[in-house]
Order: sequence, then C-alpha cells, then structure tokens
Amino acid sequence: MAGDTDRLRRLADQAVVCGVGESAYGRRLGRSAIDLAADAIQAAVADAGLTKGDIDGMAVTFGSPLGADADTLAFALGLELKAYNQTWAHGRFTGTALQWAAMTVAAGLADVVACLAAVSFTGVRRLRVGGGGDREGAREGGGGHGEDPVYGMTSPGAGAALMARKYMARHGATAEDLAAVPISLRHNATLNPLAMYSEPLTLQAYLGARHVAEPLRIFDYCQVNDGAACVLVTTPERAADLAQPPVYLGGMQGLPAGRHEFIWAYPGFGTAQQIETDWTPGPQPVHRMAGVTPADIDAFFTYDAFSPLVWLALERWGFCGIGEVWQFTADGRIQVGGELPVNTNGGLLSEAHIMAWNHQVEIVRQLRGQCGERQVAGAEVIQWGNVYGDSLIYHR
Amino acid sequence: MSDYLKPLPPITNLSKPYWDSLQEGALRMPQCQACSLIFYPPAPLCPGCWSRDLTWAALSGRGTVNSWVVFHQAYLKGYDNEVPFNVTEVTLDEGPRLMTNLVGIDNDDIRVDMPVQVVFDAVTDEVTLAKFAPLPGWSPEGGTP
Ligand SMILES: [Zn+2]
Repeated sequence: MAGDTDRLRRLADQAVVCGVGESAYGRRLGRSAIDLAADAIQAAVADAGLTKGDIDGMAVTFGSPLGADADTLAFALGLELKAYNQTWAHGRFTGTALQWAAMTVAAGLADVVACLAAVSFTGVRRLRVGGGGDREGAREGGGGHGEDPVYGMTSPGAGAALMARKYMARHGATAEDLAAVPISLRHNATLNPLAMYSEPLTLQAYLGARHVAEPLRIFDYCQVNDGAACVLVTTPERAADLAQPPVYLGGMQGLPAGRHEFIWAYPGFGTAQQIETDWTPGPQPVHRMAGVTPADIDAFFTYDAFSPLVWLALERWGFCGIGEVWQFTADGRIQVGGELPVNTNGGLLSEAHIMAWNHQVEIVRQLRGQCGERQVAGAEVIQWGNVYGDSLIYHR
Repeated sequence: MSDYLKPLPPITNLSKPYWDSLQEGALRMPQCQACSLIFYPPAPLCPGCWSRDLTWAALSGRGTVNSWVVFHQAYLKGYDNEVPFNVTEVTLDEGPRLMTNLVGIDNDDIRVDMPVQVVFDAVTDEVTLAKFAPLPGWSPEGGTP
C-alpha cells in the first residue's frame, strides 16, 4: 500500500494548467468546429502568455464529424506537434485526455499540450444521439450506455433514466428531489455570463416539462450546442514565468471498465451486468495521490450530461453515503454559496455541452480566483470526478 | 419481405445460438463448464475464468424487473405510433440481465422487483425477440398471490 502510494505520487504536481480559453457557446452559430477551435486555442495561448510556436502537443476527445480531429486541427492552425492523441468521441474521455497531457509533459515528450475540444452539434445536419444514427447501439456486444435498439433502447439519456428509476425505487427519492440538480445548476448559470441558459428554473416549470425517457424530463438533459474550449498543460518549470498562476494537477485516477462497471453507475449498483452489492467507495487512489480527503474539496465538478449522473458521482466520490444523495442535493447545498458547490459554471445542463472541457476551464478560473459573482471563496482544492469512475484533483 | 420496420439484431457467430434458441421457443445462454457461470451477452470464452468449455444452458425464463424507462420520444424507425412504450431491464433468476419490453401490462403498473416470465415474439420469419409478461396472478397492488 505504501509502495502504491509512492508510485502514485510520482506524477503528483508534475503538470499544471497554464492557460484556458473558449469560443462563444450557442445553438446554430453557423461556424465550423475548426473555426470555433481557433477561437478557443488563441484565447488560451493569449491567457497563458505563450505564442503559437510554443504548442507542441495536442489531445482531442471529440473528432469528426461532430468535432475536429487532431491532425486536421494541427494543419489548419499551423501547429508543429511532436505528440498528439485522440479518443473516440465521448465526453467520458475528458479526464483521460488531461491525464495523457500531464504524463506527456512530465515525461518530456512535449512541452505544452493543448487539450482542444470543438463541437458543432447543431451544425451537423439531422444529428441524433440515439435513434437511427446511434452507432453505439449497433456495436457488437451492445451499447455502452445500455443501448439495445432491438427493444427500442437508444440514446445515452435512456441509460441514465434506467439508473435513475432504480435509484429512486431503492432509496425512496422522487422527481421533486431530482429537480434540485438542474435547478441548482441553473442557479449557478445565472451567475455566469457565458452560460446559454440563465433564466432561473422553478420546481413548477421542471415538473411541468415533458418527459423524454421517463422518469427524466427535458430539464434533466444537457444542452445541444456549438462551441469550443481549450486547456493548456505544461510542466511547473515551464509555467513559472508565464502570465497566469499555475493550477496543479495533484491527483489522478484512470477510467475503469469491466463487468463491475456501467457508465452511469458505480460498482455494485446492479445495472447492465453489474452484480448488486453493498458497495461503498472508501478512500480512492486520487485522494491518496493528492494527499486529500473529500472534506478538503472546496468545489466538485462532474459530467452532468443528465442530472442523475450528478447524484451517483457525489456518492461515488464519498461526499455522502450510498442512498443519501437525494437529501444531500436539497436546500441549495450544491449551489454557489452552498456547502459543496457543484459545476459552478452551470454545467452541461445550463452553461453548454463542450464535453465538460468548459468545466475544466471553470475549475482553473475558480482556483485563480477569476470567477466574479460565482467565485467560491478561498477555493484551493477542486475535484473533477465522474459517475464512471475517473477523477482529477486540481489545486492552486 | 417483412414489413417490420424496427431495428433487428446484428447476429454474429457468437450470438447465433442465442437467437436460434428464441426461434425454437427457448431461452438459452452460454454457461461455463469449468466454473458454472451463466453469462450474457455471449462471449468467446468465460469472462469469469477464461475457460473455452462453454455450453448453451436452457434457462427458466423467469426473472424480476430491475428497472424500466418509458420512452415519450420516438427516436427509431418503426416507433412513431408506439410512444409511450416501455423498455425494461429484467434480472433473470439465473443472474444475467436482459433489455426487453414488458407486454400485457400498462406502463403505469410496472414496478421494480415484480416477477416476470418470458414470452416469444416472432417479429420476422428469421428473428424472434424475448419479451416478458407479468407472472400470472401478479398485480401492482397485491403482488403475487
Ligand atoms: Zn468460467
């Protein structure tokens, strides 16, 4: 165990974020993914006090056709990359890309890696995530979110609805309890000038909204939009004389897979082929690596493509007991100003869906103290942690 | 030619015995001869112990509802006139879970843990689906007598 911790700690604080930037976020911007990406990387490079020639690595998590591939971005933007990497197009790989960037600069394979995400959901004609264009559901072995189109099961949101129904039945939670998630994140968005949606959401409006995959309503679903965001990763040494104070990557935990995992639930939950058990998370490697506990976390960010994902992420990362989160998220506890602010930008639910690269931008700005009205006072340690089991702990 | 518009399963060499079993009115899944694990979806080896000594075991066709969703939006071809329809995850008595549809029940009457049994729905000449119905005698108010 001590040996494991020593090995884990070798990469702690060996990489920092030195610059962040984004394009405008919105629907039907009428701009291509490469066009939006250019705005984000230029903003991030200017933020860091770097120049074009300093960027020699790239990580991409959302390629063509919804986004832009790393090689085409390098070509279009005139970059000379020593190393690039690209995952298949899923929001789940945001943390994985950052971890690769950190390892790449720490190992000296590149000096500054641009994690560059651009998406044009509304620019791709007749796009549907789920339905006839559901490539996930057609995979051999079935879809990763529970898709099984033969029985009409399609779209990632339906998998989240399946998890939410079971959670509510097991633990006595209701739609009114779940409403606290989108309502709280919308509250955070009202404090964010970049957010696509900044009108407060009421419980009455939530409950009156149409169901999509019941029990989820339209307000439980993320935005579908266009936009780009960029996060620049380098070494602490390289960051020392740059324009912004560095934000350290202090802890990491990789993305797990296997029969004990389902993308929208923690082990033991009992969806897909998970065996149902009384699983409790306990201290995780990311905590050991960063030398912190959940009590040290000043704000929590998570992949909120659908509101129940926030619930299970909070339980998975130990902020409350299994079965208790529907009470934890009540009473404004996860709003800015609450006990544990979550997704202070408004999240995918209310700021925009940039595969949560917008969340990473927000985390960095929180730790620099640049968030204005929605600033978490004295924020020093922020966790990125997901229902699907990967995590990063950032600190200033 | 069939007028069935909904998606049909991609049948591979691994999954063909499963789909053949439904055609024959049985529910069979791979079982490991080394460790007895019954698992789904079909795989080239036992995911428990990596034995390649697999057989196809006939299951009881009984299970319980693990969870369900009701689609109010028709994403897929063939579903335009079907919303709202349920998609239900059933935990089979032998362990594996199956995505399916419950038939013979109003969506409002579905409950977690309710007992169900398989019914075979021959949707085309080549493909039969495993759907599930409430166990006879079960009611949302009274459970199973
Ligand atoms: Zn075995």
